[in-house]
Amino acid sequence: MADADLLSAPVFELGPLTITNTVVTTWVIIGVVWLLSWQLSRRLRSEPGALQTAVEGVVSTIHEAVAAVAPQQAERIFPFIASLWIYLVIANLSGLIPGAHAPTRDLSATAALAFVVFLSTHWFGIRSHGLKVYLRHYLSPSPILLPFHIIGEITRTIALAVRLFGNIMSLEMAAMLILLVAGFLAPVPILMLHVIEALVQAYIFGMLALIYVAGGMQSQQLRPETEE
Amino acid sequence: MELSWSTFVLEIINFLVLVWILKRFLYRPVLEVIARRRAGIEKTLADAKALHADAEGLQQQYEGRLADWERERQQARATLARELDAERARRLAELQGALQTERDKAQAADAHRQADAQRKMEQTALAQGARFATRLLQLAAGADTEARLIDLAIGELQDLPDDRISALHNSYGKMPGAILVSSAFAIPDAQRARLEQALRQIIPSDIALQFRQDGALLAGVHIAVGTWALGLNLRDELAGFAELSHAE
Repeated sequence: MADADLLSAPVFELGPLTITNTVVTTWVIIGVVWLLSWQLSRRLRSEPGALQTAVEGVVSTIHEAVAAVAPQQAERIFPFIASLWIYLVIANLSGLIPGAHAPTRDLSATAALAFVVFLSTHWFGIRSHGLKVYLRHYLSPSPILLPFHIIGEITRTIALAVRLFGNIMSLEMAAMLILLVAGFLAPVPILMLHVIEALVQAYIFGMLALIYVAGGMQSQQLRPETEE
Repeated sequence: MELSWSTFVLEIINFLVLVWILKRFLYRPVLEVIARRRAGIEKTLADAKALHADAEGLQQQYEGRLADWERERQQARATLARELDAERARRLAELQGALQTERDKAQAADAHRQADAQRKMEQTALAQGARFATRLLQLAAGADTEARLIDLAIGELQDLPDDRISALHNSYGKMPGAILVSSAFAIPDAQRARLEQALRQIIPSDIALQFRQDGALLAGVHIAVGTWALGLNLRDELAGFAELSHAE
């Protein structure tokens, strides 16, 4: 029973693709986010109400955080980092809904996000200064460090995926075990811890992604200056 | 804890779709609203700064005007003070002049009043003196006094110069009928003879002499030849003395 609750379960088949409850939950999250964003975008006013003020506060805060780390590339990477934060907060908290499971308790989902971060790091780095200049930083300060750079890229991506997966899955597992052992309302403190942990893990994942992406872009930016 | 490649791929696609949705329906509109509001705020701030600069300019302009007005006021006040001083000095000089004039007038009036008072006092003293002398002479006068006065009259008639005699002749006009000789007491004969002799030297002999007594003369003689008269008696002398005091 524990395996059935903790692991993602296939819901239906779509050709060669197996649609799991993780993907369905993600679709639901995307749909809700799209619906709310669409409704909000239609009701934006110059003099904001409470909801618009809250949303503007969230967006402005994320923008300022991105600008603080990568001031020159903030506009370019802001949508990606902000989407990571928003999606991870919602996805992590979705586990609190009875009958639902957080998509991030699935290693496939966290690995997909970590892989997207991995690709984004190189994508934004190459777009900033070109392929040659970007690849050259793997050979600096010495070509001997190239294997370590490659290992670092892989391990940090794996760590990114496993960290989020492990934390969220362990939280859900702890809550389920307490519910089984102690009964109704007993896991409430754990659920409150879940809220905090969900926010913290979303912040950590998004901030690490931001640092990786900004590092890939700024390393290429600083090198020509030092070479000059 | 298997890795589902379908989930892996679909999650990648899902996330990319979510990025697009959020960028299209959330980030762009919200950031545009924020940018518009920020632009509005910056415009308001710029307008406020412009207004502030204008206000400062106006303030400096008004301060300059106030300074100019203050300077002009000080100059006007100094000019007014000078004019007031000059006017005050002029009026003070005029007042001092008027006061001096009034003072002179008062001094003159006082001197005139004192002179009048002194003159009145003198007249009063003279009048009292005349009354005293009249009273004294009324008490002291007698035949002897008259005799001496008649002797003085005889002397004066005898020593009368020619021009006086001719003037006498001219003064009484046509020849009077008589010469009236008045005396307070009866003139002794000898003295009367000498008097007639002295009168005859200056008056023709065809004019008669009339002697009579007049106690009002107190002592002495009064000779009247027409309109001409010679008085050498105490009454006429006292009257002359009194007239002399009035004339002074």
